[in-house]
Amino acid sequence: MSNSTAVVNLEGVASRAGPGAATWGSRCRGGTYLYLAPALVFLVVFTYYPMGFSAYLSLFRWNVLTPEKVFVGLENYLTLWRQPLFWLVLRNNLFYALGAIPATMVLGLFLAILVNQKLGAARGIYRAALFYPTMIPMVAAAMLWVWIFNPGIGLFNYYTGFLGLPRLDWLYDRHWALPAIIIMSIWKNFGYYMLIYLAALQGIPGELYEAAGLEGAGAWARFWSITFPLLGPTSLFVFVVAIISSFQVFDQVFVMTQGGPADQTNVLIFYIYQNAFRFWDLGMGAALTTVFICLLLVLIALVFRAVGRWVYYEGE
Amino acid sequence: MHLCRAMWLTVAVLLAFAATVPLAAAAEAPGKLIRLTFYYPVGVAGPLAKVIGEMTDRFNKENPGIEVVPVYSGDYDPTLQKVQTAVMAGNPPDVFIVEISELPTLLAMNAVIPLDDYVRKAEGGKYWEDFFPAFRENSTLRGKIWWIPFQRSTPVLYWNKDLFKKAGLDPEKPPQSWAELKDMAKKLTVREGGDTKQWGVTISGGWNDWLFEAFVRQNGSWLISPDGTRVNFASKEAVEALDFWVDLMHRDKVGPPHSTWGSTPPDFVAQQTAMLYHSTGILTFLRNSAKFDFGVAFMPKSKSFGAEVGGGNLAIARKIPKERQDAAWKFIEWMTSGENAAHWSVASGYVATRQSSYNVPAMKEFLAKDARYLVARDQLKYASGKMMAPNFQKIREILKKQLDDAVDGKVPPQEALATVQTQVETVIKR
Amino acid sequence: MRLGERARSWYRRGRLHLLATHLIVGLFALVTLTPYLWLLATSLKFRTEVFTPTPQWIPWPINFGNYREVFEQAPFGLFLANTLLVVSGILAVQLVTVTLAAYVFARRRFRGSNLLFMLFLVQMMVPIHATFLPNFLTLQSLDLLNTRTAMMLPFFASGYGTFLLRQAFKQVPRELEDAAVIDGCGGARFLWHVLIPLARPTLVAFALISLVSHWNDYLWPLIVTDTPNVRTLTIGLGMFVQQESGADWTLLMAATAFVTAPLLLIFLIFQRKFVESFMFSGLKG
Repeated sequence: MSNSTAVVNLEGVASRAGPGAATWGSRCRGGTYLYLAPALVFLVVFTYYPMGFSAYLSLFRWNVLTPEKVFVGLENYLTLWRQPLFWLVLRNNLFYALGAIPATMVLGLFLAILVNQKLGAARGIYRAALFYPTMIPMVAAAMLWVWIFNPGIGLFNYYTGFLGLPRLDWLYDRHWALPAIIIMSIWKNFGYYMLIYLAALQGIPGELYEAAGLEGAGAWARFWSITFPLLGPTSLFVFVVAIISSFQVFDQVFVMTQGGPADQTNVLIFYIYQNAFRFWDLGMGAALTTVFICLLLVLIALVFRAVGRWVYYEGE
Repeated sequence: MHLCRAMWLTVAVLLAFAATVPLAAAAEAPGKLIRLTFYYPVGVAGPLAKVIGEMTDRFNKENPGIEVVPVYSGDYDPTLQKVQTAVMAGNPPDVFIVEISELPTLLAMNAVIPLDDYVRKAEGGKYWEDFFPAFRENSTLRGKIWWIPFQRSTPVLYWNKDLFKKAGLDPEKPPQSWAELKDMAKKLTVREGGDTKQWGVTISGGWNDWLFEAFVRQNGSWLISPDGTRVNFASKEAVEALDFWVDLMHRDKVGPPHSTWGSTPPDFVAQQTAMLYHSTGILTFLRNSAKFDFGVAFMPKSKSFGAEVGGGNLAIARKIPKERQDAAWKFIEWMTSGENAAHWSVASGYVATRQSSYNVPAMKEFLAKDARYLVARDQLKYASGKMMAPNFQKIREILKKQLDDAVDGKVPPQEALATVQTQVETVIKR
Repeated sequence: MRLGERARSWYRRGRLHLLATHLIVGLFALVTLTPYLWLLATSLKFRTEVFTPTPQWIPWPINFGNYREVFEQAPFGLFLANTLLVVSGILAVQLVTVTLAAYVFARRRFRGSNLLFMLFLVQMMVPIHATFLPNFLTLQSLDLLNTRTAMMLPFFASGYGTFLLRQAFKQVPRELEDAAVIDGCGGARFLWHVLIPLARPTLVAFALISLVSHWNDYLWPLIVTDTPNVRTLTIGLGMFVQQESGADWTLLMAATAFVTAPLLLIFLIFQRKFVESFMFSGLKG
């Protein structure tokens, strides 16, 4: 099992084919493209065609009062550019990412390190207790946390009261609604990241730590010089997953706040949903979708640049 | 190994199941039966879905050639969305209930048929006049009747008599005016340190646009003209009303600036708030949940008492064959008969839409046991139609955003409402 | 002597560290569990008992009636059936498309394989949230709205599954394939008899991840389904929550408990498998 930082280039793959390479693919080529066809059809119809289709639709005015599409070029985009709510929505996404991602990653890593210790039979129990929120639908978790965040009789305010923290209105306060959603999302997601880190930690050879221990390195030093660097690729993976997830926030907002108060928790996907299925402004919905897709594509390009061939040839 | 076999077994079972379920659904009654789909948005809390089911069952029995299939489609917003989706797909539900402000939007989508012909022939011509005038207002546009009032309400003021007593107020005297409301709310607000343990009055969020319209009416003005073409959000009276809200929720802090429509009734039950502005439709829920005595009153007046109506009307889809439309009318006429309107009102807590319903014995009995259900009906004489305009969903969001910002003190009432005025004017033109 | 002392102090420090670790992890575990325990407690209370200013952890008197009422108010059994059908339908087709595609990417050289694989990789990062609007319009024009099929279609191809399985298939040594080739056309039979069995752990891992994530789908089913006969658990729960007449917390918690129970139970029973699957859903160390 090669270490994940090995990078292999294309020539290497071909020359490693070994004996019998001449027959590889030549006799039994039968229907290579046929094998690919089913997956490709669905990919194109439900991922790639929609991307183009939404870009096309975004150039039209198409809403409740204009049932027949009217070509208006970039008018929708211009409207968005000038609309404060659009920028507020993007800001909310940014704040959510800043609030949720580092915290979830750090918490996941921290607990992974702890759970990785020799905890005996209890380890399975701890792991289950920390990971189970992943098994719950976000809608269910959101419902539960609306109840927990109830300002008057909710669990959260009751227990934080003991810690001397002020009693906030959480979902009903324009400043604290988004933090409430962030807290809930951290609770829901950190177990998954913990597991990813746990897997990566178990891949680090124990000898490294022993050697460091003999050299007199303390726990902190061991973490910074061994654990942290070797977890680099894992952290990158977790980070990318986290960013893409942060854009997908919808269920929580739909159930807990419907974008309020005063649009302080209105995030991109909810905003698209509002425009498309509440206001029936399909042209605008398409424009917003296209904006989102462009953001994603930029992100994907960045990821590929940073990780690129390593991801592709991983597992050689 | 174990897991694998279990998985295969599960998949096999599920596939077998999958094979049967569509068959079960497809087993329809043969013959000339007309099946009507009926989308309705009644809240699921309480037995209301069951009541609808029971009523449609009765109708189906009494009308052997028609079978109405009720489909619960969520609250008002999701139901509207589903109806619109279905209409756009060319596959509308035959009968549906949608929130009353959406009439101009439904007309813009060409989704419903005018019902004048049916109405004229119903009950020997006496049908239409029997509906309360306030309810008739949102049912007509451009001279035609488009749909029939069914589950209707007005906002009312709920007050907690126990908490009134505790604060030294007369538990039988709810506030009559805005000034009294503010006074009493101040006495009823309980603070411990920096925390508000008990609010004086909650003006519920979620449909705070609906409640705001009521306040504007109490102050003697209007927001949108009945034909949905002119808007008047920045009038002096509206600004005064919003300023009053800012007083309550920001300067004097006797009410929470934000909440959701579903969160405030439990808050009232939990005695977190001494007074509550909400729909008469929650009265049954409050009765069944509250451990204290509470009253229902008109919303306090400013220049006069004022309210507007709310709720949903029954409509017939346009793009369905004439015979289905006729069958749908039969259903609507049946559901809105004096008797059935009374039955529905008693079961749901909504205001009975027909005046004759109040003479029905079952209704009289019911009201004798709890006269609080009469308050909304009595308030109708001060009520007018609810504001409606095309693209109402967008208008709502614009208004709610500015209301939310204003009660947080982020923007002065005058500016907030001016913003609403300009933005809504753009929306209506678009 | 010095060595022995040092050894003992190391030992004691190690024990102390372990104890501290147990305490910290235990605390986090407890805090993570607390919300769900509260959910269960609330679901067993009577409606009027819920509004106490201090939380009552033990519901007394116990009220199982909430669960019965949940079923009376909405057909959650039907919702469960629909969810099962949808997730297994998605998985069934995914296994087919993913296996076939991963096979050719892993074992064959062909024109355009890089570009085509790129398409799969990119798809991994394009969630349904980016394509739901155009996909909705597509399904509308195909007249497929409000069907179980509609809920499944966009997920039938999985870039993620293809990626995972390709990795697994690549692990199989060339010699095995050469042997199969000698025995006759390797292609499909090699795939079926050799590759798939050898890649079973990956397939199981993918299956579990797919099942869990589609069980919990919300946005897509929300916009493509209207009527209760095709409604899934998550949508049913969401609708249960949106009421004009006020949140009935005990009922809501009971409904939520019911919706979350199946996956949680299966998780508790097959815990090891789930944990393994999700652990290695990232990278192979």
